Amino acid sequence: MLDRRIFREIDWPTILLMVLMAIIGIFFVYSAIYYQASQYVWRQVLWLGVSLLALFVLLMIDYKVLLNFAFPFYVFMNVLLILLLILGTRVANTRSWLVIGPFRFQPSELTKLAVILLLARLFSDYKEDVMSFRAFLLSSGLVGLPFILIAIQPDLGTAITFLPVLLGAYILAGLPKKYAAIILIVAFLVGFFGWNYMLKDYQKKRIETLLMPGQDPRGAGYQLQQSRIAIGSGGLTGKGYHKGTQSQLRFLPARHTDFILAVIGEDLGFLGILGIFIVYFIFLYRLFSVSQLSPDRAGVYLAFLSAMLIGCQFLINVMMIVGLFPITGIPIPFLSYGGSSLLTNVLLVGLVANVRMRRFVYVRF
Amino acid sequence: MAKIYEDLSLIIKRSRLTFIILVIVIFLVMAFYWKIQIFDYKKYLKMSEANYLRSLPSPAPRGLIYDRQKIILADNRPSFKVSMLKQSLKNSYQTIERVSGLLNLRPDELKARTERYSWLQSFEPVVIKDNLKLDEVAVIEGRKEEFPELRLQVEPRRYYPFGQTAAHVLGYLQEVSAEEIKGSSQRKWRGGEMVGKAALEKQYDDYLTGQDGQLIETVDSLGRSMGEVNRIEPVKGKDLILSIDLDLQKRAEELLQGKEGAIVVLDPGTGECLVWASSPSYDPNRFISRFSPDEWMSIMNDPAGPLENRVIRGLYSPGSIFKIVTALTALQTGLISERTAFFCSGSINLYGKDFTCWFKPGHGNLDLAEAIKNSCNIYFYQLGRSLNIDIIANYARSLGLGKITGVDMPGEKEGLVPSTDWKRKSQGEAWYPGETISVAIGQGPVLVTPLQIAAMTACLANRGIKVKPRLTLVDNQTELKREKADLRPEIFEKVIEGMWRSVNDGGTGHGAYQPGFDICGKTGSTQVISREQAEKMVQRGKEALKTHSWFSGFAPRYQPQIVVTILVEFGGLGGQTAAPMAGEIFKAYREKYVRQTNLQGN
Repeated sequence: MLDRRIFREIDWPTILLMVLMAIIGIFFVYSAIYYQASQYVWRQVLWLGVSLLALFVLLMIDYKVLLNFAFPFYVFMNVLLILLLILGTRVANTRSWLVIGPFRFQPSELTKLAVILLLARLFSDYKEDVMSFRAFLLSSGLVGLPFILIAIQPDLGTAITFLPVLLGAYILAGLPKKYAAIILIVAFLVGFFGWNYMLKDYQKKRIETLLMPGQDPRGAGYQLQQSRIAIGSGGLTGKGYHKGTQSQLRFLPARHTDFILAVIGEDLGFLGILGIFIVYFIFLYRLFSVSQLSPDRAGVYLAFLSAMLIGCQFLINVMMIVGLFPITGIPIPFLSYGGSSLLTNVLLVGLVANVRMRRFVYVRF
Repeated sequence: MAKIYEDLSLIIKRSRLTFIILVIVIFLVMAFYWKIQIFDYKKYLKMSEANYLRSLPSPAPRGLIYDRQKIILADNRPSFKVSMLKQSLKNSYQTIERVSGLLNLRPDELKARTERYSWLQSFEPVVIKDNLKLDEVAVIEGRKEEFPELRLQVEPRRYYPFGQTAAHVLGYLQEVSAEEIKGSSQRKWRGGEMVGKAALEKQYDDYLTGQDGQLIETVDSLGRSMGEVNRIEPVKGKDLILSIDLDLQKRAEELLQGKEGAIVVLDPGTGECLVWASSPSYDPNRFISRFSPDEWMSIMNDPAGPLENRVIRGLYSPGSIFKIVTALTALQTGLISERTAFFCSGSINLYGKDFTCWFKPGHGNLDLAEAIKNSCNIYFYQLGRSLNIDIIANYARSLGLGKITGVDMPGEKEGLVPSTDWKRKSQGEAWYPGETISVAIGQGPVLVTPLQIAAMTACLANRGIKVKPRLTLVDNQTELKREKADLRPEIFEKVIEGMWRSVNDGGTGHGAYQPGFDICGKTGSTQVISREQAEKMVQRGKEALKTHSWFSGFAPRYQPQIVVTILVEFGGLGGQTAAPMAGEIFKAYREKYVRQTNLQGN
């Protein structure tokens, strides 16, 4: 039943913060690639419109109803990922794009939504204080499947963003120490075999670069070096909008996507970065606080896992562009250019807002 | 109210804790940004300043130069050059040593060369050797790993397939000088760019020069290329078609072989020059290399002056050729008619001084046509005695003497037509009537260039219509500016009659005679040489008393097609040297351009 009262509870401040960030993002996408900007800018504006529309549709459906469709949705997304691996055309050397007419979409992004819904569904009835081994295996497997499917596309960056979701589930469900030990051992083994047999050379390079930047200034380290130069040379107040030489002279790689914050850092300096961080802090605070307002377990999980995903993507990106994390191709939510990622992140916020809207149980008399 | 909320306190606590940890990490990251942007700001700013764009020129081929038959006179050939980033040379004695060893250059030469380009930005490449031989290219290419600072490039290089032929028409290219770069605001020069330095290569430099292409690439702080940003393809320069006829040009240069002098052949109808020869000549291919200062100096210092374009820069006394001007002036002013006769006894006393005719026994009684035919001095002394120098000067100027012809060739000299004004200004003295006598026969201070004489002859052939000499083909007859000399048209025929007799009736120009071709001409021999000139000649082991030898004429008499003007320095009498050479040119022209049926016509 749709109760009209709940619409008074739409979380406008959070949505406005999100739209504000998306608009800032579009401004800097324009600054970063002005010479071909109109195409990108209009596409991103269009995606923003589509995403907001989807957001309001999502808000109308009670998250408890959504949870009932979590499993079919999850299965559908995974089948799509498998089909993409078999039939998908290669775009930029990966099989991660679903091409429909002029639009390209990455199913791996929406899969995040499916995984969060399914985990929330799974743990909504789980009332133990500590995670059981079965729950541990099941949750790990459910995240592990799309992780692997996406990692072999290959799109390791997107795959890695699933890990904060799993980590969030472990935390909330209460992971015992011995399982944590198992994870470490598995991680070590995966790391060992992955390093020797699975990782592509460029991926190894990126990790090596993180450990020893400046070793290979023309290869992977080059991106990091240029990004740091951009941010560092921004100083306190920056070089001015559209005036950063690092981005204008195209030294910065992936200026409109993964490194958009470096453009902001160069153009607006530390004050600009500080502004973005403050906006993000308020935004994340509001997301996380919903997990404390939720009326039921599923709501806590939904809000918390969504907030985790957005928060960790942000954190990884801001660490990555200054060399505190390997360069893995994780965009910064809302600011970076990219339609699929924007839609997914907006829908994640929609999930959180959905939970917040329905935090009161209205009792009929 | 029933309890409708389940107990979620544990997971809410876990959630809050996670958020706190996340915030702590975010704060730490924030601190790292603070370090980079505030603490290390200067360091990164410097690095960002070192990251800049550089544009490498891709030189556009120069336009080709053709003769009137579309034979290529100036071509382009691919040539290898090697350049070096300037910053890698800076302060690095070692680099200079290594590179000069590789390229067989003297280290000091290489150093001087790089210092020459101190005004260039540090990342711009300096050409250090060009026109490389293939084995040198192979060596550089093979060892490029050891010499990353070297850059091998192909550039189109000017090539003159006929060497010395028409060198004074074409000119040559040389590296643009620092002064030129600083002086020019419109054009952006590159270091080591080749630019037209003489003759048509200079005159039409902008026309022939294409639009250089550009490769814009980003460079990092070490000057290494970081990838192409933009590329603009070069646009070749426009081609130039000359009015020169290579066959006649070659013939003329053959005739001048071993002599110093000039030959101009032009079409009196259009002013198009078919021949433009100046001897001695030089091979413009030798100038194109950027690195032969010794060779350059030896050509510059050659006393014969091979670089001097005698056609427009050689100033000579016109000698008896000037008698045409005197005759026209006398006819125009009504001083004489064509029937007016004077008696030549071999000498005459004027103003208390004896003036002699070149023909000692004397010509006897002669009219104007006979006087021109025999180039009788006495007749023209008589005219000079009655004419005012300023009137002669006026008509001389009207015929194109004493001022540039306006030919499309740089560096043309004006020459000199003396007048009372001129003498007062230059020497502060009044003009003596006796000097007019000398001027009347083309001696005295009169100075002309061979091209001025050719242009004057064309005006004569056109019966008073002047044309501007030119070296490019006329595409559109209507665009030709035809100016009329301030002389009555009918008087020209009277002078031409004398010139016709001079060649065809056993006159001084007899040597130019060609059966079946109605040639009219006038010889000249300059008798007066300055003391300075005589000394120069003696130094060079020449006979000081020999005169310059002139011939200028046109053919056919009616509807003239060709004007030939020849000057041979120290060639002796005009009739002996220049006239027979002119005859050869007329002959070559006739064989090529005039239908053979005319041969039987006479």
